[in-house]
Amino acid sequence: MRSAPVTAYDLKLALPLAGFFALFFVAPLLILILVSFYTDTSLTQFGLAQYARFLLDPFSLSVLVSTLWLGVKVTLLCLLLGFPLAWTFVRSPRLAQGVLMLIIVLPLLTSVVVRTFAWIVILGRQGIVNNLLLSLGLADTPLRLLYTDGGVVVALAQVQMPLMVLPLITALSRIDPNLRDASSALGAGAWRSFVKVILPLTLPGIMAGCLLTFAAAITAFITQSLVGGGQMLFMPMYLYQQSSTLSNWPFAAAISIIFLVAVLGAVTLFNLLGRLSRGYAQG
Amino acid sequence: MIDRRQMMTTALTLGAMHAFPQLTQAQARRLVFATFTGSWEEAHRDVLVPAFRKASNNADIALDPLLSVDQIAKVTAARANPPIDVMLHDPGPALVAIDQDLVDDYPVAQSAHYKDLIADAQGAKGPAPFFQVVGITYNPDKIKTPPTSWNDIWKPEYKGRVGITNLNSTLGTGFLVEIARSRGGSEANVDAGFKAIEELKPNLGAVAANPGQLATLYQQGQIDIGPGNFNAIQILKARGVAVEFVAPKEGAIAFKTTIHLVKNSPNKELAFKLIEASLSPEVQAKLMESPYLIVPTNTKVKIGGEVAKALAKDHDEMKKKFVFQDWAAINKQRSAWIEKFNRDIKI
Repeated sequence: MRSAPVTAYDLKLALPLAGFFALFFVAPLLILILVSFYTDTSLTQFGLAQYARFLLDPFSLSVLVSTLWLGVKVTLLCLLLGFPLAWTFVRSPRLAQGVLMLIIVLPLLTSVVVRTFAWIVILGRQGIVNNLLLSLGLADTPLRLLYTDGGVVVALAQVQMPLMVLPLITALSRIDPNLRDASSALGAGAWRSFVKVILPLTLPGIMAGCLLTFAAAITAFITQSLVGGGQMLFMPMYLYQQSSTLSNWPFAAAISIIFLVAVLGAVTLFNLLGRLSRGYAQG
Repeated sequence: MIDRRQMMTTALTLGAMHAFPQLTQAQARRLVFATFTGSWEEAHRDVLVPAFRKASNNADIALDPLLSVDQIAKVTAARANPPIDVMLHDPGPALVAIDQDLVDDYPVAQSAHYKDLIADAQGAKGPAPFFQVVGITYNPDKIKTPPTSWNDIWKPEYKGRVGITNLNSTLGTGFLVEIARSRGGSEANVDAGFKAIEELKPNLGAVAANPGQLATLYQQGQIDIGPGNFNAIQILKARGVAVEFVAPKEGAIAFKTTIHLVKNSPNKELAFKLIEASLSPEVQAKLMESPYLIVPTNTKVKIGGEVAKALAKDHDEMKKKFVFQDWAAINKQRSAWIEKFNRDIKI
């Protein structure tokens, strides 16, 4: 009798997880899609009214666009601040790396609510930033930092930073240090080495980091609503309002499907860029 | 001997029973009371539950602290075999629950306490065991002259120091309706209220996402004055935060919080006993004391303490000083108002 090759695996092993996903993820998603096609809140008639209501309404579309735009701003800020951090980490001696890693991961170990409240303390009328500005005489009255677009972006960037830095560290530490030496031996300056060698090789890490940060930033209900307040409307809050306060489940379902499709679109775009970059890195 | 297969089956069954305890209790489960989260749950666990147990010969009861909307969602999902027996609701969601046919009539004839409730607290679909009251909250360290009227919030000296919530909450919606009424509007027409909020913009330091967040903003000095829930403010005060509550001279906004028998509940009798306990003068008198300070609805309760000092010294004065709103009319337009608020209120 021939035994099965040791490297082959039995698909049946994945069945419990597949069943779990089918029951608790795919089925609810299908129900959500179904609900979004009802035209009335008592779920009696089918139609496309909810989608029309959203897609033909400039206000709703502006909520979608501002949510995606918020994601882009947070992602760019994370990349801008996170790349030097990851770079420093990779170049540090082992002991410093331990300390740095603790600092980088620390935000993940505290609750989002706690982190977000810290930002309210920092950005408030009597917060750290305003007190500093007032005592230095740079402002006469407290500035409004909380409940502004900038405040939300900064708070989200801090909250989501580990999601950007960790993939960057992985990508950067995989680069052979000889490549940089080779590049400078061949006459390239530091900047040229960075743009031509380091950056292309870290692109997969950048893409992964951007994807994670973007997805986390646009769906961060708690941070968006606590730092943004009750009058800055992003998709998660819009959805919550319709489903919870107004019990308008079909419209809420349609909002979430549209949001889902928009996010999938953004993810596909990122992936496309990622694939192009891989070609660039190897070509 | 037990073989491996049998062992596995037993283990799986035990696991399933652990994960889904309802499986084993499908026939007779204990009474489930959906109260509100936070201090309400504490108050009910400490006072109402012991009173109920005494009245029901130590019957088993579980508290399931949920927001009104979540209670409705949970019951709607299993109408025939609801996982909740007694629901607690703010006025808006209460009407939704009644409209969706989720609650039974309260057996008024059998009730010992129903007739003692003040008229505004009676209701065939569910009586009110307490009122929630909204007035003006302010920071006495920063504001030396206590405000007396809703209009004080518009004073230019409070530039950037006023906090409100959006219309997702009963508090925010009630406030909008009240300022609309004080400027010639009504529950049917709150345009005057929106205009007033427009005029309030220079003063607004925060539009909080929910009343819980609004309360914490006093602590951080982000805001110094605004509409606030009497009970939420008492909790902050008890923790040493500098806040005071005043009932404005136009009258404080009162919401009746109603308690309901869930339709198709398998524990009808126990549910009735729990509601009776919540209406009884003993329980209400105890809940009125510190630290709960919950406003009683039973006229046999002699009002005292902080409630008497800040709100009304007896039920006659309560009737005069409390302003009740027509939530049936409010619910009809709430969705349109929320949409208008979304679009127009940007600070």
